[in-house]
Amino acid sequence: MWDVREPASHTDQGGSPCFPVFRKLNGDCVGKLKRGKMLKEALEGQLTAVCNSIAASVQFQVEPVGRWFEAFLKRRDRNVSASFQELEEEEELSEESEDDELQLEEYPMLKTLDPKDWKNQDHYAVLGLAHLRYKATQRQIKAAHKAMVLKHHPDKRKAAGEQIVEGDNDYFTCITKAIEILSDPVKRRAFDSVDPTFDNAVPSKSEGKENFFEVFGPVFERNARWAIKKHVPKLGTMDSSFEEVDNFYSFWYNFDSWREFSYLDEEEKEKAECRDERRWIEKQNRASRAQRKKEEMNRIRTLVDTAYSCDPRIRKFKEDEKARKESEKKAKAEAKRKEQEEKERARQAEMEAARQAKEKEEEEAKQAAQQAKKEKEIQKKAIKKERQKLRTSCKNWNYFADNEADSVKMMEEVEKLCDRLELVSLQSLNEVLASGSKEQGKAAVEKHVQEVNAQLQREREAELAARQAARGMEQGGSGAGGVSKGWNEEDLQLLIKAVNLFPAGTNARWEVIANYMNLHSTSGIKRNAKDVINKAKNLQKLDPLQKDEINKKAFEKFKKEHVAVPPTVDNAVPSERFDSSSSETSSPSWTTEEQKLLEQALKTFPVNTPERWEKIAAAIPGRSKKDCMKRYKELVEMVKAKKAAQEQVAAKSKK
Amino acid sequence: MAAIGVHFGYTCACVAVFKDGRADVVANDAGDRVTPAVVAYRETEQIVGIAAKQGRIRNAANTVVKVKQVLGRSFEDPEAQTHKSESKCPVVNKGGKPRYEIDAGEATKFVSPEEVAKLIFHKMKETAQSALGSDVNDAVITVPFEFGEMQKNALRHAAEEAGFNILRLIHEPSAALLAYGIGQDSSTGKSHVLVYKLGGTSLTVTVMEVNSGLYRVLATHTDHSTGGESFTQALAQHLASEFKKSFKHDVTGNPRAMMKLMNSADVAKHTLSTLGSSNCFVDSLYEGMDFDCSVSRARFELLCAPLFNKSIQPIKSLLERVSLSTNDINKVVLCGGSARIPKLQQMIREIFPDVELLNSIPTDEVIPVGAAIEAGILVGRDSFLLDEDSITVDCCAKDILVKEADESGADVYTVLVPSGTPLPARRQHTLQAPGSLTSLCLELYQSSSSSCALQEKVADIVLKNLDPIEEIRDIVTVATMKRDGSLHVTCVEQQTNKSEAITIAAAS
Repeated sequence: MWDVREPASHTDQGGSPCFPVFRKLNGDCVGKLKRGKMLKEALEGQLTAVCNSIAASVQFQVEPVGRWFEAFLKRRDRNVSASFQELEEEEELSEESEDDELQLEEYPMLKTLDPKDWKNQDHYAVLGLAHLRYKATQRQIKAAHKAMVLKHHPDKRKAAGEQIVEGDNDYFTCITKAIEILSDPVKRRAFDSVDPTFDNAVPSKSEGKENFFEVFGPVFERNARWAIKKHVPKLGTMDSSFEEVDNFYSFWYNFDSWREFSYLDEEEKEKAECRDERRWIEKQNRASRAQRKKEEMNRIRTLVDTAYSCDPRIRKFKEDEKARKESEKKAKAEAKRKEQEEKERARQAEMEAARQAKEKEEEEAKQAAQQAKKEKEIQKKAIKKERQKLRTSCKNWNYFADNEADSVKMMEEVEKLCDRLELVSLQSLNEVLASGSKEQGKAAVEKHVQEVNAQLQREREAELAARQAARGMEQGGSGAGGVSKGWNEEDLQLLIKAVNLFPAGTNARWEVIANYMNLHSTSGIKRNAKDVINKAKNLQKLDPLQKDEINKKAFEKFKKEHVAVPPTVDNAVPSERFDSSSSETSSPSWTTEEQKLLEQALKTFPVNTPERWEKIAAAIPGRSKKDCMKRYKELVEMVKAKKAAQEQVAAKSKK
Repeated sequence: MAAIGVHFGYTCACVAVFKDGRADVVANDAGDRVTPAVVAYRETEQIVGIAAKQGRIRNAANTVVKVKQVLGRSFEDPEAQTHKSESKCPVVNKGGKPRYEIDAGEATKFVSPEEVAKLIFHKMKETAQSALGSDVNDAVITVPFEFGEMQKNALRHAAEEAGFNILRLIHEPSAALLAYGIGQDSSTGKSHVLVYKLGGTSLTVTVMEVNSGLYRVLATHTDHSTGGESFTQALAQHLASEFKKSFKHDVTGNPRAMMKLMNSADVAKHTLSTLGSSNCFVDSLYEGMDFDCSVSRARFELLCAPLFNKSIQPIKSLLERVSLSTNDINKVVLCGGSARIPKLQQMIREIFPDVELLNSIPTDEVIPVGAAIEAGILVGRDSFLLDEDSITVDCCAKDILVKEADESGADVYTVLVPSGTPLPARRQHTLQAPGSLTSLCLELYQSSSSSCALQEKVADIVLKNLDPIEEIRDIVTVATMKRDGSLHVTCVEQQTNKSEAITIAAAS
């Protein structure tokens, strides 16, 4: 099994790293490389030259196995190449060689030292290493000790004829003590920690303000020796980047020191005679060490704090940061303002566009209206002209009559025609009159007259039916009336409605009505069937005056409500109350008054009136043209139905 | 500091301990150095090892074998599906992961492959501890080269569950090389090694390059259909036919009888690796009839001849794939239990007549020993943690050669820096020249193929005005190659200390 330790050298022949490279080769060329192969002689004029570039390296995956892999990994992690490692080794070699000619500084006071006071002596000075101190390697210390022993050993001196103080009192004991301390890493560290030459001073703020780098640079460099971690970051210069400065301060704020103060222990543990004493001593020492350590940490802390507060770079970074923030803030505000402005502008543009669009629309509507008016006028004129034509032509034909009476009647008929016929039929009639003979003209006129008369007749019948319907409704409406105690108008209305809603023959009619009243009444009075019957009978008995009054009141109330609602909406969504109260006259919102007005209007504007329905609508307040037409159609239908029923009855009676 | 290496195979697991500078396989409580990777679930306990394997005859439905096949795989994985179809223990799908359905008394337990692996690892840990007499956690575990990230993680997880502190997962072929210490005694030199692993159910052939102590897998071939079990199967079939011949009963349809025969054949096969003949004896194999039969090694070899041929086949195809001839292979490492078979070893020897066949370590112990050695290297190091399992290294792309002449005057090329050398590298050679010459020329070439047929001249180094001397000159040539591939060559003539240096830049 090979040994697991880090391979020392990376050259061909392995071997000890202590020997320089050439030495190991000498033995080699004989054994290993005797291959019978020889280099060739250089040709004439051949020179050392590169004639081609070498292929670039390629990447391979290797198995993470074996000690050479570990060695490789270590080199990679330390970012050190093999040759660098060799260099390091060579450096070590050169150091060794330096050791031979190690310069030892003679310590002039050596001979006067008191061995009993060894604790206060400077061990480095004693060994002549005062110039190296904590930097001295173990090798150097050993070499120095050897040199000192050779020179100062009592035996040597005796041989040289010097006087020796017997026992431990000779100064040579100091040298022994020094090597004892310095050769033991723990003891040496303890001594290093309290190195008498170390300057513990921390510069004050005022000192640091002036020339920061000159004052603090050496101080940090000095204190860096206590760091457990290697590679202490340098203080740097004014041009150091933020990262560097940050790294520096975070290192020093988390400074891990190996400095410890066991060397200054007042009592020596080894001197104690019993366990208890030893414990006591230990406790004492621990306390004092902790105290000193704390002081030391405080010292470092103060140093770093002072440096931090004085550091011109920190100040600069802070200012930069502040400026940056401010500018950011400004930029933000600017951006916001701009955004708002942009919004405002957009809004205005939109409004302008809307306004223009509206204007345009209005203009167009206006023009359209004018156009329509013009057309209407033209049509009116045409109709007038046609009428005139008809009249004149009829006049020319002497109204197709022989005697005066006939002609008067015909004149009336023609007038009627003029009124009722529309533009197209008038035109056609005129054409017939103009082109045909008298007989033909008469036939045509008579035909039209008949048609018109039939139409008129129909209208009249419709009117009649409407009147009858209106009367029926009036009668239905006047089925109730009168005001009595506990019965306000609304309740009365409700009662009437209920009575109509539940006609005679309904199961338990009066209880149902009472219930209905209670449910729908706003007065909050509870009524029973008896009350309701009494009231209903009362109402039936009431004189017509009171009936009228009640009807009027009801109408007024309706009108009030009706006015409150815009007319178009009214028609589209008829309220249910009217629906139930006037179920006979299908269209709910038509009051008797309006009905009357409609009938009147229908009469005043005969069928052939131009824009007849518009005019009719205008005659009835709160009704549109469409409403009127609808109503009219309903009326017509009703009349027709009535007629049919009458005919049926007549047929039956005939049978 | 003790550390252990664990090999967790398809059929067997083995643990080796690194202590006091040497690695050794530890025998388990049954006295076997290799533990079958079989876990049997009983109502109250789980049994791992040989007892579970023998108990499988009666408890097949609750005995898990070859758990490594499904470890870290999803249920849909074809490998897992194959395992499912072969396993006597039902495998069910639980959220895309395979689970063993174990009948634990009244309830049915669903056991993950990781839990099974954990039990096996735990057994290995116990074994190592009993040998060391102290608690040991640090372990290196081997994985097959073809294992994916998921499987590695599953294995790692199972081992950690068992209480191991995993120093590293290493590939089985690398562990095999390490067991023989190939490339470990010097950090220079380049060689090719073929690792032939024939385990219980799988055959893996790997060609590795060892350069400057670093291992690199050039090519690998895995065949999951060939392995020791197929040999046992063949032998068991033969035994069954023998039984039929003498008792007129066909036992091939009886799974329990077949399992008994398989166990018997397994023992016989092991014996035949060392002895010329073996006796198979099965009590009450079928309907109370005992079976006794003697098998000779020759018979066994005859039975398995086609299988042996099939096992040998991949070697040649693999060498062809990496365009190496059998002469380019410097060493052959045998590992896996079935590589013990004398006939197989003989066949491999025939393929590589001049190559050292490494089989001094018992073949089924090679991998755990290698793992233990790696554990010994790693244990106690503070920075052994690796983020990735394999590391890419800058390597020299081509051989760097120098032209020389042999006695007859013909051109011969000597390799200064072989291709694949991890960079940065420094190689030192002492070249020789007749002392009568006053000027010398080192012509440097680079060549990508090992046959030196396609060289490309890169530089000349000329040493001039040398004083003629009696003896032969030594010229120490140091070639240093940087990570990017650029080369610096220094020649020093030893007798006169005349020197010449040149730097050749790398093509970008």
